[in-house]
Amino acid sequence: MSVPAAPAAASPVDDDLWSAIGDPTRRRLLDLLLTEGGGTATGLSARLPVTRQAVAKHLGVLDRAGLVHATPAGRERRYQVDDAQLARAVAQLAAVGSAWDARLRRIRRIAETIQRSQQSRAAGTDYTTED
Amino acid sequence: MEFGTIEREIFVEATPEVVFAVVSSPEHIRQWWPDEARYAPEPGSVGEIVFAERDAGGTVLDRMVVAFAVVDSRPPRLFSFRWTQPAGEAAAPGNSLLVTFDLAPKGDGTLLRMTESGFREMGWEAAVLEETYRDHVTGWDFYLPRLVPYAATLAAPSRPRS
Repeated sequence: MSVPAAPAAASPVDDDLWSAIGDPTRRRLLDLLLTEGGGTATGLSARLPVTRQAVAKHLGVLDRAGLVHATPAGRERRYQVDDAQLARAVAQLAAVGSAWDARLRRIRRIAETIQRSQQSRAAGTDYTTED
Repeated sequence: MEFGTIEREIFVEATPEVVFAVVSSPEHIRQWWPDEARYAPEPGSVGEIVFAERDAGGTVLDRMVVAFAVVDSRPPRLFSFRWTQPAGEAAAPGNSLLVTFDLAPKGDGTLLRMTESGFREMGWEAAVLEETYRDHVTGWDFYLPRLVPYAATLAAPSRPRS
């Protein structure tokens, strides 16, 4: 029991993370990097319908969000996914929807409890009337 | 311009009147969401909801006050509000999230539909991603579930009662 998901998710750090992961090309890049254990802008651009320059740009965004790390590989840089940061992003994403699921389950439980207590009161009244 | 919407639907075995009270009154809202709620449940009312951060023993470590403004209230069919607008600013599209509860009688109960909109593009993508990730279809969906147990352990210590 601490802070609610939405305001927490609106902090600057999370904004970077969310916008980094919000782009379909960048998600595809992450997917390829996960599948292949890493890659360079040149290698990745061969697998995607975008230019090497565009891939490099996207990798830069992912890098700044901490989702990938680069190591020099010849004349290029080889990128790998940062598992911990990706896990953190996943946890935040899941929190948005599941937060409402949990709230709605509590709303249902409270409303149904009230309804049952009203019905039993009503039943009690009927009984008294008949008595 | 508001990006994207989260939608949820749930059937409640209670009358729309009862469900309306639970989703709209400050007394009830405290039972399912914030620790404190101060507002009049009528259109235009401005108030706040408060989330307390507690340690394991229940001692309050910190309080986060969040702006809350009632947009519309039509018992027992609709209740909507905005939240997360910056303190001192009037709630409006672009600076807050809009939550709408639609209630429709169904059988002996109520079909409660919740929508939350106003997410910036990343929030929308995030919501879509969550849905996609639950579908377990594409490669992305294959790899994310591997991370979920780990993500859960990361999220656990600060897991909100959200």
